[in-house]
Amino acid sequence: MSELELSAETGHAGLMEGSPYGIPSGKLAMWCFVLSDAVTFSALLFAYGYLRVGSPDWSTPFLFSPSIVNGLVMTFVLLSSGLTMLASVEAAKAGHTAAGTRWLWATCALGALFAVLHLLEWRRMIEEGWGLFRNPTGGSTEFGAAFFCVTGLHLLHVVGGVFALAIIALGFRRGKYNRIDVEVTGIYWHFVDLVWMFVFPLVYLMNAK
Amino acid sequence: MSEAAAHPAVHQHTAPTGFIRKYVFSVDHKVIGLQYYGLAIVAVVIGMALSWLMRLHLGWATLPIPGLEKLSPAGAPGNVMTPEYYLSLMTMHGTIMVFFVLTTAPFAGFGNYFLPIQVGAADMAFPRMNMMSFWVTFVAFLALMSAFFVPGGPPISGWTAYAPLSAVGQTSGPGEGWGQTMWAVSIAIFCVGQLLGSLNFIATTLDLRTRGMSLARLPLSTWAWFITSVIGLMAFAVLLPACILLILDRTAGTSFFLPSGLVFGDQMLPHSGGSPLLWQHLFWFFGHPEVYIAILPAIGIISHILPAFLRKPPLGPRVLVGCIASIGFLSYMVWGHHMFVSGMNPFSAILFSVPTLVITIPATIATLLWIGSVYGSRMQFTTAALFCLGFISVFTTGGLSGFFLAQPTIDTYLHATYFVVAHFHFVMAVAAIFGMFAGTYFWMPKMVGRMMNETLGKIHFWLTFVGVYCIFMPMHYIGLAGNVRRYAAFTDNFLVPLIPVHKFITIAALLTGAAQFLFLFNLIWTRFRGPKAADNPWGATSLEWSTTSPPPFDNFGGRQLVVHQEAYLYGVEGASADFIMQTSSETVEKP
Amino acid sequence: MTAGESAQSPGMKFFVAVWIGLMCIVGIEVLVTYRHPAPRVLLAWLLVLAFVEAGIALWYFMHLKYERAALAWTMLPVLAFVIFMMDQFWPDAFRMVSMRLLQR
Repeated sequence: MSELELSAETGHAGLMEGSPYGIPSGKLAMWCFVLSDAVTFSALLFAYGYLRVGSPDWSTPFLFSPSIVNGLVMTFVLLSSGLTMLASVEAAKAGHTAAGTRWLWATCALGALFAVLHLLEWRRMIEEGWGLFRNPTGGSTEFGAAFFCVTGLHLLHVVGGVFALAIIALGFRRGKYNRIDVEVTGIYWHFVDLVWMFVFPLVYLMNAK
Repeated sequence: MSEAAAHPAVHQHTAPTGFIRKYVFSVDHKVIGLQYYGLAIVAVVIGMALSWLMRLHLGWATLPIPGLEKLSPAGAPGNVMTPEYYLSLMTMHGTIMVFFVLTTAPFAGFGNYFLPIQVGAADMAFPRMNMMSFWVTFVAFLALMSAFFVPGGPPISGWTAYAPLSAVGQTSGPGEGWGQTMWAVSIAIFCVGQLLGSLNFIATTLDLRTRGMSLARLPLSTWAWFITSVIGLMAFAVLLPACILLILDRTAGTSFFLPSGLVFGDQMLPHSGGSPLLWQHLFWFFGHPEVYIAILPAIGIISHILPAFLRKPPLGPRVLVGCIASIGFLSYMVWGHHMFVSGMNPFSAILFSVPTLVITIPATIATLLWIGSVYGSRMQFTTAALFCLGFISVFTTGGLSGFFLAQPTIDTYLHATYFVVAHFHFVMAVAAIFGMFAGTYFWMPKMVGRMMNETLGKIHFWLTFVGVYCIFMPMHYIGLAGNVRRYAAFTDNFLVPLIPVHKFITIAALLTGAAQFLFLFNLIWTRFRGPKAADNPWGATSLEWSTTSPPPFDNFGGRQLVVHQEAYLYGVEGASADFIMQTSSETVEKP
Repeated sequence: MTAGESAQSPGMKFFVAVWIGLMCIVGIEVLVTYRHPAPRVLLAWLLVLAFVEAGIALWYFMHLKYERAALAWTMLPVLAFVIFMMDQFWPDAFRMVSMRLLQR
């Protein structure tokens, strides 16, 4: 990331006005992106709610085991990845590049684990007969559409984040990226976790049997 | 007039070399701005041509149009367009104009070019992302254009793509196969491009202002671009999932927008559970802020240009910024006024109608501020100034019809008539385009270093101004008479008497369209033969006039400007000239 | 630390404590779910808890607490406003049940 961003908030020895938020431009841009993405997920969750409210034959098929347990494990994995992300940012801020990189890889691995668990769950549900327009229990077919769409968009963000984390980890080790880049990536990663904090209760717990 | 010593630039850029780096994949915001502008010009020519075809058919429904059958054998057998093909042309006309002209030129085009310069920066905050946002938009344009060439042709559901017509797929009509899918794909890609652009605009406005350029000293055009990008950040964020859901409905068998019991051509469709109203809610939640995204940059542009030709400061500039901001805020509260007759909950109609009427207040205040600014001034009637005055006129005319449409009882009658067509064409097609024209005539000397031909410009203005009133004013009356919109031909008893009016409108449209070639000619002529422009041909105050025409690669030639003044110090008593540039450190003693 | 970087961070021990707190909230969500309240009550509980979780994540994990107040004060109300506006979808969702063609 160029010095353009780093120096922005300092006002560069008084030659520029400086950021009103006192943060580098890259960080501001990531916050704005997170804001925008939050609106996207909100719209999707509202659409899910809209269809659910309007469907008298809505299914609530999730048994405690395996569905809710699996969801809890995924929640644990994602929350832990948030913790490792924080560890990485702390290490990066203290100048410990090697430790910071290790924690980045740990976050990346946990994110990948989440994705794998999620895909395995998808596979199990598809085998049971669930699909974008299929409901093996005979209830509303909107369930599958909403479920796979909401979790799918979230999964896409997780996978994108895993790739981003890997790229940042590699670059940070080599000095191409600095601690601010790590922090900016962290904001994105925590956002992905934040979305899950809504997806898990609204999509899993609300549909528990 | 003294100019404060500028410092060496904070960030030294190296100029790009090679044709590709300089003109194709450039990270220079000025090149990107011109690329967006060029894209908008191509789009507007296509969109206008489509409107000519539509107007010809509306005036003379059985008239064969030479060459039309070659364009679409299925859509225009014997060179006479079918009703479905009329709807295809209408859909593409609307989509191209709203997205690739009105969202592109005043915002992405001029905004990209001038926002960094007006804040005193060497470039946008994220130059490479800026380049990416243009090329993403370009890909979106190609995807949309492909709808003309795919099997079945372009979609017929209008730029609003209402479900179930748009969501069902091939069965619902010609163009509803690949055409509609490409439409949805194109718009989804467009959302991404606009999001990236918004991030850049916000970061640049907040973070890259040069010393002395406080938020209070920002030009009105910069404020408008900034507020527009904030609106866009969240509006496009809703359209994107809506398009994804639409694509899923079309290709993956889902029923987000498709209720049960749909029968198309003797075939009962298997979908169930969805709601077409959900599409309308999601679409218009985006769609209404979108139309303000289309107009606010133009408002900013003419507010910026007007003082330069009034030679006096604008009336109430901070109030004007407040108006722009409150319009942006209110724009998220009013979308249901597009849905008064959709079957939505009638109580919701009241909740939407009230903010819609409220939003007329800041718009009216802005108009009164402009009129108040003009009062008592010695106006220089350059072409740019004429288009600013024209903007005030058409914005008022278009806005007045909005008062009626904001009320559900009246809208029940007027919805889907030509009254609505008149309203949105006045505020969008005319007002926003006038903003574009004003910006072009004002800023072309800066962008290409050559003056545009004023005589040609004035002829262009008068022909266009008279022309647009001839086209769109009668539409109010035929709308009140009950003329339904999106009809390819008028065969009902109550519509047949209105056909002569349509003929008049068509002739006006063709003549006004022809007048635009004066503008295009002027553009090209200027680029190659125009007289060289000085750094500040208009005697204007903002930072773009503190550099050469055109600006060097890094905008200010290695200098970091220092700003000492507000943006519109024209006609200050006791000053050494009739304007004080923002970089000037001149202080004027109060008498 | 360069000038202008965000203020002091509370340290990993604190973040671990926050993490434990978040896991507890998830646990409460599950417990509430399995008391099988009426769907509206469950929804209310889950939304409140989810917003609390989100707030904690924003405040501490995303360091919003340690940034200038202006950042939170501009972004959060704007987001809240936009999301609040989407609530105007609900009247039509609720009407949908009674307007269905095929009552199953």
